[in-house]
Amino acid sequence: MATPYGIKLAVHLITNHFGTLVAKVCDNLLRRGPLTLQQVIRYTELTPQQVKNSLLILIQHNCVQAFTLESQGGFGDGPKANTQYLALFSNILHRMRFPKFLEIVSRELDQECKELLEGLLQNGRLTLVQMVERAKSKRKDGCREDAVREGLTKLLAAHFVERCPAPEPLVPEQVKVETTSKKRGTKSAKINEESETIEQRVLAAAGPMEAQRFSMITNTEFDVNGETSTDDSPSLIVGEKRKRDSLELDRESTAEEGEVVLWRANFEEFLRRLRHMACIENVRASLDDGAVKVLKAKLDATRGLEKKVKTEKSVPLSLDNIFEEVIKSEEGRVMTLDDVRASLVQLGCPASARGTADSYSIDLKKIIESAQNDEVESIVLKRYGRDAYRIFRLLSKNGRLVETDKISDTTFVEKKDAPKILYKMWKDEYLHMEKLVLAPNRNILLWKVNKRPLWEHVLDEMFHAALNLSLRAAYEWDKEKEVINPLEAMTKEERLKQKNIRILLDSSLLKLDDAIMLFHNF
Amino acid sequence: MSAGMNRSQGLSSLKRKQPDSKSPIESLTEHERILYNLIRSKQDMAIWTRDMKRETNIPDNVLNKSLKSLQAKKLIKEVVTIQNKGRKHYIATEFEPSKEITGGAWYVEGSLDTEFINFLKKHCVKIIYEQKIVTLEEILDTIRRSRAFNVEFTTQQIEEIVNALVLDNEILEVKSTGMGEFNSIPIGKVCYRCASKAGLKAEPKIGAMASIPCGVCPQISLCTPDGIISPTTCVYYTKWLDF
Repeated sequence: MATPYGIKLAVHLITNHFGTLVAKVCDNLLRRGPLTLQQVIRYTELTPQQVKNSLLILIQHNCVQAFTLESQGGFGDGPKANTQYLALFSNILHRMRFPKFLEIVSRELDQECKELLEGLLQNGRLTLVQMVERAKSKRKDGCREDAVREGLTKLLAAHFVERCPAPEPLVPEQVKVETTSKKRGTKSAKINEESETIEQRVLAAAGPMEAQRFSMITNTEFDVNGETSTDDSPSLIVGEKRKRDSLELDRESTAEEGEVVLWRANFEEFLRRLRHMACIENVRASLDDGAVKVLKAKLDATRGLEKKVKTEKSVPLSLDNIFEEVIKSEEGRVMTLDDVRASLVQLGCPASARGTADSYSIDLKKIIESAQNDEVESIVLKRYGRDAYRIFRLLSKNGRLVETDKISDTTFVEKKDAPKILYKMWKDEYLHMEKLVLAPNRNILLWKVNKRPLWEHVLDEMFHAALNLSLRAAYEWDKEKEVINPLEAMTKEERLKQKNIRILLDSSLLKLDDAIMLFHNF
Repeated sequence: MSAGMNRSQGLSSLKRKQPDSKSPIESLTEHERILYNLIRSKQDMAIWTRDMKRETNIPDNVLNKSLKSLQAKKLIKEVVTIQNKGRKHYIATEFEPSKEITGGAWYVEGSLDTEFINFLKKHCVKIIYEQKIVTLEEILDTIRRSRAFNVEFTTQQIEEIVNALVLDNEILEVKSTGMGEFNSIPIGKVCYRCASKAGLKAEPKIGAMASIPCGVCPQISLCTPDGIISPTTCVYYTKWLDF
């Protein structure tokens, strides 16, 4: 979800890539939720043309999705449709991670595919024709259209690329459920809940059918009417042929084909890969190599079957199938069936001495949660010290309110020191405190770790830190460029030092981004 | 071993609660009797000299003289409380000061006996590292047989130490599966193993956020891109980048 510093970071990224005008539009959409064109013009105080261009750029780069909310008009009017624009917070943040996505494709496929993906990331979305043109202009020796088509096919097969969503889907009005709105606490929580639902509904309405999503075959070969026949939701309209009166997307159309498909990077698949990598790394740190091999094999085998990125448990697989996958790799061939069984137990699967046909499923959510705990505990240790670390871990494991005295007893912290440490952590919003009044001068303080609000707070701090790293890197880069006079040019050592500074800042940002994904996307 | 020697007085004396029946109660002065009864009435909570004066209205010099006499007759003893180390508290000899005022078995003279606790913790970690996987009873047994300490520990005390080690993330609490390394341990029984594969000297891995200045910064909530505290003016950053 978009926390205050998350929004600042997103706007910073857009400013760097597209300038302040586009960033202003984006900022308003992020802070205020979905807006119509007129509303954006009014809030940004920019000209209509500037706003339109900015929205076009943001849509082109998958940072904004347009949609129409079906709503009943006033008396005597028919249902009105008004185009609104929704900022896609997660997609904006992905702009920080393009190098990671390219590295995955480079490793799993080939150079050709990597270059194709690079084009898609740089341009937001391209047709096959545009991809071929781009490849031709980059290669001096010319390039075959087949090679590009082949590359695209490979990327689609691996789900790294997908069809673009409908430009302006019609999202049906949701039936309001009275009870849920009464349960919500603060207003901001309500806005977050509502906007999350809107985003989910819009994306669900916009996305192409699963069968078409990764298919090269164009629409005309599927159906004639422009409406999908097997689709559940009647509101889903495949938008290429629909008449639009507000925005026209810059798009080619070939008369012969009648349908031109736009392709874009499928962020969902990249997130899935990165999530699997994070799980494997976490297991590598806490268990042995055998467990790592088994987990990797299992995830590789069932990747295509995972329905959503945040899958709680891995898709069930029998021991036979797991073993089959493990021995595919050279390191895996040293493992016996018993080794695999033992590793599965280590990974948390219940031990089963029965047949090899039993299905095993690994709790990925638990692995992710353990990694999240490690990250927060590391912050507490470095920021508040070892005593605080023990206290925090006690409260985190306990999950309930604990009295100050009990805390100091269990953690072996001096009774007079414990309250000071607890107060410091509470002031920084790492702990929750409640006061129990037993008698006029006898108060007992109770403490607790509330994971959900704390995780959100830590995520916001991470966004803040990422923004800081980025700003400092820009500052250091500007310092370097200020040296114009050759006589004052930096010495070799100074240049080396500046280079090392840049490497440190860049690598820290990449590492921090892994942690951000751990809390935000995984 | 000096740590062990000091502790033997503390820990073993906590176990003995026998009243001394040979005390000469009959030869007390009027004031001494009043004070003694008052102190006894507080049982294991002890009482501050100032509170005694307030309740009995006995003048200071008489009060002090009486207390000295009672102490000499071994009827009362002085105790240090963890909340107010500077104030003199007295308790009748037949009572052991309650945990609330001493802090418990791990406190000595009102402060946590950190040196002893750390020594005991290191000893337990060594046992767990050497035996790879071990139950609470096995740890207790090993300590007893090693004769490294001249005090007897209760299961509860070792459990407290071991729990603190789990909180330090030096050891892990696991449940036996009966298989593999848990061969000799009944299924479901709680046991302990070292947290890190590297063993005794391993440092916990530092997280991404904790590796950068912002992660440990106490002022992060005051820092803004253009403020007085900002990433471009930050002294922690300057220090971090000065290598």
